[in-house]
Amino acid sequence: MSRIILEARDVRYRYPGGVDAIRGISFHIRRGEKVALVGPNGAGKSTLLLMFNGMLRPDSGTLLYDNDPFRYDAASLRELRRRVGFVFQNPDRQIIAPTVYQDVAFGPVNLGYPDERVREVVRDALRNVGLTGFERRPPHRLSAGEKKRVAIAGVLAMDPDLLVLDEPTSSLDPAGSEDTMELLEELHQAGKTIIISTHDVELAYPWADRAILLREGEILQEDIPEVAFGNPDLVRRARLSVPVLLELYQELARRGLPLPEKRPKTSLDMIHLIEQAFTRGPHTGSCGTIHVCDVDRTGPDALARWLSSRDRLWIGAMGTRAKQRAAEGKITLDFTYGVIDKCLLRALGGESSLILTTGGMVQRVEVRVRAFAGEWGTPIPVEEVEVS
Amino acid sequence: MDHGFLENVAQENGLAGVSPYVKLAVGLGAILLVLLSPTWVTPLFIAVSLGMAVLLLARIDPHLYVHLLAAPLLFAVLSVAAVVLVTGGGQVFWAWQPVFGFALSLTAGSISQGLLVFSRVLGGMSALFFIALTTPMTELFIVMRRCRVPPGLVNLTMFVYRSIFILSDQVDQVLSAQRMRLGYSSAREAVASFGNLCGASFIASWECGEDLIRAMDARCYEGRFAMLEESAPVHARHLATAGLFLLATSALLLATATGSVPWGPA
Repeated sequence: MSRIILEARDVRYRYPGGVDAIRGISFHIRRGEKVALVGPNGAGKSTLLLMFNGMLRPDSGTLLYDNDPFRYDAASLRELRRRVGFVFQNPDRQIIAPTVYQDVAFGPVNLGYPDERVREVVRDALRNVGLTGFERRPPHRLSAGEKKRVAIAGVLAMDPDLLVLDEPTSSLDPAGSEDTMELLEELHQAGKTIIISTHDVELAYPWADRAILLREGEILQEDIPEVAFGNPDLVRRARLSVPVLLELYQELARRGLPLPEKRPKTSLDMIHLIEQAFTRGPHTGSCGTIHVCDVDRTGPDALARWLSSRDRLWIGAMGTRAKQRAAEGKITLDFTYGVIDKCLLRALGGESSLILTTGGMVQRVEVRVRAFAGEWGTPIPVEEVEVS
Repeated sequence: MDHGFLENVAQENGLAGVSPYVKLAVGLGAILLVLLSPTWVTPLFIAVSLGMAVLLLARIDPHLYVHLLAAPLLFAVLSVAAVVLVTGGGQVFWAWQPVFGFALSLTAGSISQGLLVFSRVLGGMSALFFIALTTPMTELFIVMRRCRVPPGLVNLTMFVYRSIFILSDQVDQVLSAQRMRLGYSSAREAVASFGNLCGASFIASWECGEDLIRAMDARCYEGRFAMLEESAPVHARHLATAGLFLLATSALLLATATGSVPWGPA
């Protein structure tokens, strides 16, 4: 298994109509990366993405998966498409079957899985996207966000290593977009490599490990988001806009404030950065505690008892399963996305909070809080809620 | 988007927990009995009992049900009127001969014939609506596969089913765009707009088909299609109720046909 999962070498593509869609693009995607392909409409984002699973074949140049050049015979394409899951922009264009179960099972059945295994992977995929219990629903009775989740589940059921999503949040409402991005974050934590195309810089900026700016079928810039989106000239040429947080940072820096090198990616970073700039030192004053609860290991009654023995806490849920549990237990959530950062913000203000989550995500909270303490010099206590 | 498709009503009806086999047996059995019955009694009994089942057990909105029945009933009333006036037999109550060789009459025979036709329409429609309102298509696919309908045909039906809703969305959009710009303000305009609508829908359905093929390709299609597992098993209670209903109706049919009850054949 190579460290580089996908590579393009001088790829070119011209549509039958004679329009040059892709004009010599080379890049590589590392295993476990989150990459955003960013560019205006007509930059060639979708065309490029369609090459990643062999739906389009480049006129010249080479694409490599796991260091193997793409082959375009039926058997190789099948294997490629199993490993590269493609989620179309419009879920109505992707959902084929008359019920959610049948649609998610579509890939696995065609890959020849035995019935028992099909049932298992469909159940897991639906649980991963938080649609357990939707098996018999017909797709036209679902919301746009739910359809998107069905489309993603259909791809997850084939257990791909690389997920390619074309404009994953277009036509979703803001909450739906946040949910989808959170889901992608979860999948990334579970070990998937993810490529998305978007023209929403605010969405790509905090999410991506790396951003590739495209314009007229060429790569304009390829770097970490702070750099790729930090150059106003490039951003203008790509018909995008500088993310608000980055712009604020640049403006503050221009006014001579002593700012750290690290640019803010979230509101939390920004608040902390401003506080530090004015107090010239690490955060003083007492911090609140962040409680973390694994809802798989804590019963709803025990949790309710624990909550009632506490003063008012800010409560957030991370992950689809935790949100489902919260809804089942009638727990009102204050935060449903960007949960760790929001709890860190509250903790800096001296207030305590509770994060409901599952499995490996518990560790993620600790890692994130420790990283925050390391970066900004403010340790914040994290306590795991252990009741049964 | 909700188009008021009966399918959407069926997806959420109160009899969703009953096996589609039982519901189909009741519906189809009722249609058969309606056709076999020589008197108006059995079809009327079926219409009333299935109507009650739809309203009370499946909890379908009564307004919707009346609205659904209204169209075929209007049609039935018109045709029954013709049947009553044109046919004859038995005691004559009223007759009129406007032209030579053509007579309109109201006789005992024609009235009973009209009553039979009307009750058959009513009974048949109730049985049909019983199936349509309580058994979603998604359940029927399972039954089709079980009944050995060729898989190709079942798969095709499923693709068609899925596409109907996507296409109807698109037709809706084009139609409202046309209405907003007064596309149907005059007869001439309406013809032109309707033509455009048909053209646009044809292109949309063509594209829809191409997208479908692309989506299937991207998801490794090899001619196989997953089926849902059986939703509701056949419960003894449901089976007994359905059996009792069909038996009682058959008994009624026999009793009325042989004249062993006072309201037997005229």
